[in-house]
Formats: sequence, C-alpha cells, structure tokens
Amino acid sequence: MNLLRIIQNSGVPIYQQIAGQFRENILTGKYKQGEFLPSIRGLAKDLRISVITTMKAYEELEKQGLVTAVQGKGYYINAQDSDMLKEQHMRKMEEHLLNAISAARIAGIQSSELIDVLKMLLETEDNLN
Amino acid sequence: MYITPVISVSNLRKKFKSFELNIPLLNIPKGFATALIGENGAGKSTFINILAGIRLDYKGDINYFDGEENEEIIRENIGYTGPGNYFMPHWNISQIAIASKILFDQFNKDKFFEICNTLGINLSGTDGNNKSFSKLSDGMKMKVVLANVFARETKMLLLDEPASPLDPLMREKLCEMLREYLNEGNGEKSILFSTHNIADMENVTDYAVIMEKGRIAEQGFVEDLKEKYILVKGEAEDLYKVKDILASFQKNSYGFEGICFADNIERLAGLNISKEIPSLSQISLAVMKKYTQLL
Repeated sequence: MNLLRIIQNSGVPIYQQIAGQFRENILTGKYKQGEFLPSIRGLAKDLRISVITTMKAYEELEKQGLVTAVQGKGYYINAQDSDMLKEQHMRKMEEHLLNAISAARIAGIQSSELIDVLKMLLETEDNLN
Repeated sequence: MYITPVISVSNLRKKFKSFELNIPLLNIPKGFATALIGENGAGKSTFINILAGIRLDYKGDINYFDGEENEEIIRENIGYTGPGNYFMPHWNISQIAIASKILFDQFNKDKFFEICNTLGINLSGTDGNNKSFSKLSDGMKMKVVLANVFARETKMLLLDEPASPLDPLMREKLCEMLREYLNEGNGEKSILFSTHNIADMENVTDYAVIMEKGRIAEQGFVEDLKEKYILVKGEAEDLYKVKDILASFQKNSYGFEGICFADNIERLAGLNISKEIPSLSQISLAVMKKYTQLL
C-alpha cells in the first residue's frame, strides 16, 4: 500500500484527503478488485486520527462507487474495469467542458468560436506530444 | 452510517442547590470515542459518576448495552477512572493487583503488570520493596489506575479527566491506548471521557458533547461539527458587518477571528474574510461562550 499523507490545517478536510488518496490508488490499480480496505478502526489507529474521520473517508469512496460496504466485514474494492474507468474519465471531461461552455456563454463567445479554440488547443497538444 | 447507542440516557435530572444537571436525551455511540467537554462545574463529573453507578441519587433512565439489566454484568463491563482514590494508600502494586482480581472477574493480573511496565511505572521503592500507592506522584497514580482499567476485559470506558495529570508524552500514549481499545473492540467497545485538554485529545475524539451549566449545549460527530461551524478571519473594520452571525470572536487592532455557523456563509460574500475549518477546541470555546450568553 502507498503511504498515506495527511496534512493538518490544509483547508482540505482530513477525510477528503484520505478518500482522495485511496481513490487514486484504486483507480491506478494499486488495489486489486475484491481486496479489502484496512479496517476503519485499524486505519484510525495507524494514522493517529479519530475513527469517525476514516469512516467518513470510506463512506465517501462508497458514494463514488469505488468500494462496497459489507455489514460486519468492511469495505472491499469494486471491479474497476476499463469501461468503468473510461466512463469516469468521460464524466470528468464532460464536467470540464460544461465549465468551458458556461464561461463562453458569460463572455458571449459563439459556439463556433469555442469549437475553434478547442481544435486549436488539441492541435497544440498533439504537436507537443 | 448505521450507529447504535452503547448507553442511552433520557430525562436525566440531578438537582443541587445552585445547579441542575438536566439531560433530556443523549445517545453515546457504540464503537466510538466520545469526549465530554465543558467548563469546571458544567456537570461533567456528576454525569460520569451517575453513568458509572457511583452516584445513584438521580431521576431519569439510563439504558446500558442494549437493554442489559443485570447490574453485575454492567459493572463488570464498565471501566471507570476518575480523580478520586481507589486504592488503600499503603497498598503497593501487587496488593492492588490482588484486590482488583477480587473485585473484577475479568481482571488480568499479567496484563496489568505488563501495562504498568510499558507505561514506565516505577514499581520498586528505595528500600527494595514495592512503593505504596500514596507515595506515587499524581501522574503515576493516574497511570496505575489506567493500567488497572486496561487490564480488564470491558466494553465501555468511562474516564473522568484521564489526561489532566499526565505529561504530554503520556497523553499521546493514552490516545494510542484508546485507539487500540477501539480497534480491538472492532465496533463493540466504546469510550466516554471528559477533558479540558481538547487539543491533546482531538485526534481520538469521534463524538463531542459540549456541556454548559448542566445542559448539553452542542453535540455531534466531530466531522459534522467541523462542517457546521466555520472559522473566519477578517479585518477589524469589517467586524460590525458580521458581528451578529458570529458565535464568538476575538478582536485586536489588526483584525478579528471568530466562529460562525456554516449556514450563514452567504452573509460573508463580498467581504475580505478568510474561511477555515475550525479545530474542535475552537468550536468548543465558541459554543461555551455563546451558550453562557444565552443563559
């Protein structure tokens, strides 16, 4: 397992820091499907934080569909097949595009102009790679 | 999150001449560490004493361990420590162990000596014999009392000011032991402790109950309280615009710092005010100050 880093007083709640790091490890395949996450109280003990914080982190992961809770046993990693990964990235991409669209609307930029900017950015990106 | 109470209190009342403990309803969550926070005289010790069965002169209902009614089972499963003296002053460690074994079936003598050892309790006196309890320092006495409680097989710890007499290193060790206790219990073991050292105990606190003048001023899981309240900092000249939504604030010539409800966050829009997640001690102080004003 990767090292979990917690930064106190960073402005980001500790449960979100933990959930974020687990999420990254799950999505990059460092955790295998079906594998159990460390126990809530065990992780709290190891990280020297309160039980409710780790519990909230795991619930966050459950909400995101990355893990499933089993009564009395703990949380195990869901199948992260490539379709699902793609789906998740797709959703993320759409979200960013929607942001771009709303920014364009505010600035009164035409749709065609927006598409041109996207094309241009794609070209620059492709040239760089 | 499915949470059941380990102890549930309803309509609890205890009247004194100048003060009344009044708790209409309180569920202490099972499998977690709950901190009882409040000023001196807020009623923390009275409450813990009632829960521990030391004080029996109260009105109201207390339900332990899912409706367990056998008092002996309840007593055997509760580990209590407090500021009083438990052991005869002339007893040494071995005699304490013998007495504890008589008092509690589940007392494990070997475990007791082992914990005494890891806590660095000095067992031998200058004359080669074991020191008597009364000759130990306050911190050492607390360590012996804690070792005594951790050497038993219990489901619930009721600790009245466990951290107060301890040095910073031992406080950290105590937090570690509490987390270990919760981990061992895997959801079946719970802790209630009172403390003035909120900052030292914050990272072992799951649920906080803030008491003021015999009543519960605020309660909740710490993570939820940290979303309910916001720490705000701003320039002194902006204070008058937000003063009414701050639960408490401090001001100096450079600026102000205060705690406000997250619900009021809209009121801060457009002002040069920074927002941070407050610590449990900042929340507790604000709640105590606010509640004192209301009464």
